[in-house]
Amino acid sequence: MNTALLLAQTGGEVTTGEAVAFWILGPLALAGGLGMLFSRNAVHSALWLVLTMLGLGVMYMVQQAPFLGFVQIIVYTGAIMMLFLFVLMMVGRDASDSVVEVLRGQRFAAAVFGLGFGVLMVTALARALTDVPARGLVEANTTNGGNVGNIGRAVFTDYVFPFELTSALLITAALGAMVLAFVDRRHTERKTQREMVEMRLRGEHDRPSPLPGPGVFATANSVATPALLPDGSVAPESVSELIEATSRKTLESDVAEVAGTVPGPDAHALTGKEGDR
Amino acid sequence: MLLAQVEQVQVPDLDFPAIAPILIVLGAACVSVLFEAFLPRSARWAAQFGLSVLTLVGAGAALLAYLGDAPATGVTTLAGALAVDKPALFLWATLLILGLGSVFLMADRRVEPGGAFAADAAIRPGTIQDRAQATTVMQTEVFPLALFSLGGMMVFTASNDLLTMFIALEVLSLPLYLMCGLARRRRLISQEAAVKYFLLGAFASAFFLYGLALLYGYAGSIKLSAIAAAAGGSDRSDTLLFAGIGLLVVGLLFKAAVGPFHTWSPDVYQGAPTPVTAFMGACTKVAAFGGILRVFSVAFEATSWEWRGVLWGVAIVSMLIGAILGLTQTDIKRMVAYSSVAHAGFLLIGSIALTDEGRAATLFYLLTYGFTTLSVFAVISLVRDANGEATQISSWAGLAKRSPVVAGIFTVLLLALAGIPFTSGFVGKFVVFSAALADGMAPLVVIALLASAVAAFFYLRIIVLMYMREPEEDGPTVSLPGVPTTITIALGVAVTILLGVFPSAVLDWSVVGAFVS
Repeated sequence: MNTALLLAQTGGEVTTGEAVAFWILGPLALAGGLGMLFSRNAVHSALWLVLTMLGLGVMYMVQQAPFLGFVQIIVYTGAIMMLFLFVLMMVGRDASDSVVEVLRGQRFAAAVFGLGFGVLMVTALARALTDVPARGLVEANTTNGGNVGNIGRAVFTDYVFPFELTSALLITAALGAMVLAFVDRRHTERKTQREMVEMRLRGEHDRPSPLPGPGVFATANSVATPALLPDGSVAPESVSELIEATSRKTLESDVAEVAGTVPGPDAHALTGKEGDR
Repeated sequence: MLLAQVEQVQVPDLDFPAIAPILIVLGAACVSVLFEAFLPRSARWAAQFGLSVLTLVGAGAALLAYLGDAPATGVTTLAGALAVDKPALFLWATLLILGLGSVFLMADRRVEPGGAFAADAAIRPGTIQDRAQATTVMQTEVFPLALFSLGGMMVFTASNDLLTMFIALEVLSLPLYLMCGLARRRRLISQEAAVKYFLLGAFASAFFLYGLALLYGYAGSIKLSAIAAAAGGSDRSDTLLFAGIGLLVVGLLFKAAVGPFHTWSPDVYQGAPTPVTAFMGACTKVAAFGGILRVFSVAFEATSWEWRGVLWGVAIVSMLIGAILGLTQTDIKRMVAYSSVAHAGFLLIGSIALTDEGRAATLFYLLTYGFTTLSVFAVISLVRDANGEATQISSWAGLAKRSPVVAGIFTVLLLALAGIPFTSGFVGKFVVFSAALADGMAPLVVIALLASAVAAFFYLRIIVLMYMREPEEDGPTVSLPGVPTTITIALGVAVTILLGVFPSAVLDWSVVGAFVS
C-alpha cells in the first residue's frame, strides 16, 4: 500500500467504485432478505440468506474492513449456513406452511405495524445520517499492525471481558444441546431374544405375536390398506399408527372398501378405466 | 512499511477483590459442568447441590470481605467494562441470596419424588421410555445452568458498557430458556414454554442489539458514560439517540416483563418447572431492574425529559394489565405472573424517579418482592394432586381446613404481595411511592394506588377461597416439603414479616447513592 493511495483514501469521500459496488450489492442483499422471508421452502430461504450474507461480506471489504468481510464469508456463509442446511436436510425439508390464522387479523396487523416501523426507521435514519461525514478506516488499517492487529488489540484490551464472557454462552449452548438431545442408553440393559419370547408368552406385552402386516396388494397398493381377519372383519392394528393418526379421513374409503361395506372392485378394476383413482 | 509500527499491548487492570463474586460464580459453573461430565450419575445430585450452595455462600463471603474496604464511590475495572459500586454490590447480595433460595428449591427431591426436573429431558414426552423415567432421579444439569444464569445476572447489573450488558443478557437468558423446558410433569407445556420464551427472548435481544447499534452510531462509543456525555452536549442529530433509547428500552422491559412486553410471562411462568419459575420471578426481575436503573441513571439521565413521559405510560399500562388480567385468571401460576406484571409497573415508577431515594426504594422493593415471590412459588409447589401440582385456583378451596400452616403462610405472602401494612410489601410500596411523590409524579402514584387496590382483590379472593369454603372430596393435598424447600419458605416468610416490622436496617443499606461509570 503506497502513500499516494493512502492520501486518496483519507478524505472520507465515497469513491465511484464504492458507490457502484454499493448500488449493486445493496439491492442484492435486500432481495436476499426478502426472498428469505417469502420463499415457502426452507432450503430456498437458507440459500437466499446466503446471498444476503455474501453481499454484506463484500460490502465490508469495499469499506476497508477486509478481515470482517472474510470472516463474514468464511464463518457465516461457509460454516453456519452449511450447518443450517445440514439441519434442514436432516429434519426434512417440509414445505408445509400453515395458512390458518390463529389470531384474527393478526397477519394484517403485523404487516401494517411492520411496514410502519420499517418506514419510520428508514426515513429517520436516512435523515439522521445523510450529513454525517465519513471517517474511513485508513488510520485503523495502517497503524499498530493494521486491520487484524487492531481488532486483536481491541479484543484483548478494551473488550477482553465481554470476549471472555462469551465463553459462558458457548458452554451453556453445548450443555443445552446435550441436555435436550442426548439420551444415555449405555445403562439400559438389552434383552436377549429368549427373554423377549418368554416375556411375550408370559403376557407381559400387549399381544404374543407381532402386529399383522397391512393388506397391501390385496386390493390396492397403499400401505394404508388394512388387513382382513379370517372372519372377514378389518384388523385395525394392521395399519401403522402413524397413518392412523395423520390422515384418518383420507383412509376411510380404503377401509370401507376392504371391509366390504361398499361394492367391491369388479372384473374391470385392473384395466384402469377412465375416471378411476 | 507502515504496518510495522507495533506497540506492546497493555493488559487492562483487573480489580480482583471487586469482581471476585462474579468470578467465583462463573468459575464454579464451569466446575459444575465438569462434575456433570465425570461423576457417576448416582453421585451427581449431592455433588452439584453441595457445590452450588458452597459457591453462593463463598461468593457472598467474598462480597462481604470486599464491602469492608470498598471505595465509597465504587470502581470500574477491566477497561471500564464492569462498574462495581454500591448499587451493584447491593444487587449482587440480593441476587446471591435469592439464588441460594432458588437452588434449594431446585434441589428438593421430596415434594416431587425424584425432583421437579425430568430424569432425561431428551426422551420424547408421552413415550414408553418417558413413562419409565417418571420416578427416576432428576437430571442435574440444572445446577450449572442456574449458576451460569446467576453469573450473567450479576454481570448484567454491573456492566458499564452496552456490549457487556448485551452479552450478560444472553448469558442470563440462555440457561433460563433451557431450564424452562425440563419439567418432569406436563412436559409438553413445559417445552412449549421454553420455545415461546426462546423465540420471544431472541426477538427482544434483537431489539436491544439494534438499539445498541444506533446508540453507537450516535455517541461513537458503547460506554454508558460516553453516551451520557454525547447526549449532554452535542449538536448531533437526536434521531439516532431516541431511536436507540426506544429499542434498547424495549429489550430491557421485555426481560423485566413490564407492561405491554409481558406477553411471554404468563405462559412461561405456567409451563416452567416451579423452582425455575421462582428463580425467574425473583432473580430475573432483580437483574433486569438493576440494569434498567443503571442505564437510565448513567446513560440517559440528561435526556430524561424526553423519555420519561413514555415510561409513565408504560408503567400505567403495566399496572393496569397486571391488575385487571390478574382478576380473570383461573390458574394460580398465571395469576402470580400477572401480579408480577403489576409489580413490574410499581418498580418502573421507582426506576424512573432518577433520584437517590428512587434508587434506594427500587432496590428495597426488589429485595422484598424477590423473597416473597420465591416463597409463593415454593408454597405453590407443595399443593399437589395425583397429576402433580394443583394449579387450578378452584382446587385450592378449603385448603385452610386441610393444612392450616400452609394456608397461613400463603396468606401472609399474599398479603405482602397486596401491600398490606406490617408486611415487607407495604414498606416497599411505601418507599417507592414516596420517592415518586418527591420527584413530582403524583398522578402516577394515584394510579398506582388504584391498581394496587384492584390487585389486592385477587389476592384476597384466594385467601377467602382457602378459609371460607369447604374442601372438595378429591381436592389436592399438601405434601410434606423436604429440608431445602422448608428453608426457602421459612427464609422468605421471615424476611417478609421482619422487613414489614423492622425495615430500617435494610432501608439504610439500600441507600446506595449514585452509580459509578
